[in-house]
Amino acid sequence: MSISTPAGDNKRRPSAVSTGKKPPAGKSSSSTSSTSTARKSSTAGKAAGAAGRPGGKAGGAGGKGRKPITPVKVSQGRSWGPIAMFVAVGVIAAGIIGYGSWAAFKGSQPWEEKAADISGIVNYRDNPDKTLTEANHAWGPLTYKLTPPVGGNHNYNWQNCMGDVYDAPIASEHAVHSMEHGAVWVAYKNGLPADQVEKLAGKVRGNEYMLMSPIDNLDSNVSLQAWGYQLKLDSVDDGRIDEFISALRQNATVEAGATCSGGITATGTTPRDIGKDQQGG
Amino acid sequence: MSVSVESEPESPEIDDAVPPAHRRFGVAGWLAAGGALGLVLGLVGGVLVGPTFTRPGENSAEAGFARDMSTHHAQAVEMGMLAHQKASDSDVRTLGGDIALTQQAQIGMMQAWLREWKLGPTGSRPRMAWMPEGSAGLENGLMPGMATDAEREQLRNATGKAFDVLFLQLMIKHHLGGIHMAEEAVKLTDNAEVLRLAQGMVDNQRNEVAAFQLLLKKLDAPA
Repeated sequence: MSISTPAGDNKRRPSAVSTGKKPPAGKSSSSTSSTSTARKSSTAGKAAGAAGRPGGKAGGAGGKGRKPITPVKVSQGRSWGPIAMFVAVGVIAAGIIGYGSWAAFKGSQPWEEKAADISGIVNYRDNPDKTLTEANHAWGPLTYKLTPPVGGNHNYNWQNCMGDVYDAPIASEHAVHSMEHGAVWVAYKNGLPADQVEKLAGKVRGNEYMLMSPIDNLDSNVSLQAWGYQLKLDSVDDGRIDEFISALRQNATVEAGATCSGGITATGTTPRDIGKDQQGG
Repeated sequence: MSVSVESEPESPEIDDAVPPAHRRFGVAGWLAAGGALGLVLGLVGGVLVGPTFTRPGENSAEAGFARDMSTHHAQAVEMGMLAHQKASDSDVRTLGGDIALTQQAQIGMMQAWLREWKLGPTGSRPRMAWMPEGSAGLENGLMPGMATDAEREQLRNATGKAFDVLFLQLMIKHHLGGIHMAEEAVKLTDNAEVLRLAQGMVDNQRNEVAAFQLLLKKLDAPA
């Protein structure tokens, strides 16, 4: 800053340029500041450099059709070196920036958007019927408008969802509570061939926030549920199963940090009202 | 900046021999311009991409560890809570509660990392893929030391001293698997937070394994 600010009306003459030398050392101790000395030498170096190169800035101005001699023919060849370099630099940089931006965008994409990108998924959180996703506790059998349900009132106890693979139908009243805790409920049509069931079980077993059970007369072979979301599929090989699990497992919880252990581990579609009899006691 | 501006008036004095346009720049000029372009692009790229490269990525060891150890811990919490509820030996009950609370808190830390790193709790790669030859360590799809569905059911149904013994035996196995994974994370990560927690797991769970073995001796049962 101090270098670029001219000190008063002190004008530098190009005469300094001709020598290209610093002023005598004794001068800096006098009224001329050391900064102006530095400036002088820098302008001097610049001018000298320009002068050393024939052409320089005047080249453009001087191109008024004067002396179009031999060099013009040379100019018809392209300078492939610089062009190749710029293209290479540009392509590499664009690739890095493009990939990075894409990865950053993908990585930071909220789970709701990832879920919305899954074709066929139904988001019941947006449904005007709010009973589909209300979340009160209740005893006894409850009725659900969807089969399987994706939310709604539910039993005080949740179904254990530590990657539990249930081999018989379970109570929706418990499973809905599991989904409130962030579980993905993998339901399949009861009677599906064992190898297909095993394929699904492989995605569930050992993974907390997952549970799986058959449902009698389900209207599709596979139905995936998380709180407020559902995806019905015909094949256990459908790639959207993994997409659904990846996007919604844990993320879909409406009770952040809630766990899956300590739940009901029994099967049977009648909810277990553990503790009900202790009420009012 | 104004230095170069001031020097401009000096240029007209320069000789007006006209070289071909493409040679005005010279090789050094091209190199300098290329370098400058590279710098600018690098800077723009760095600003855009930087955060992605400076925090652990989708397939990093840190993310794999956070996800897999959360799952591994979750099963210890399940077993610890069972012990807290129904162990007959009071030391086993206390240990069960201690394990459940500690590991659930650690799950919270690891899940918070994933959120800070803008990563989901569920990875796209197989379990243990973040460890060298990690996937080979899976047993029936379960991470090392994890109880099988049959063992979990056995534990749920056990009572009295039989429960205490089975819990301690399953928990020794569980901890040894967890220690192995945490040691791998210590080797692989340079993230201070991950290092701190993983090393803490190794140290703490080693001590607990020793405690389990003492309790088994007290209960007159094999380790």
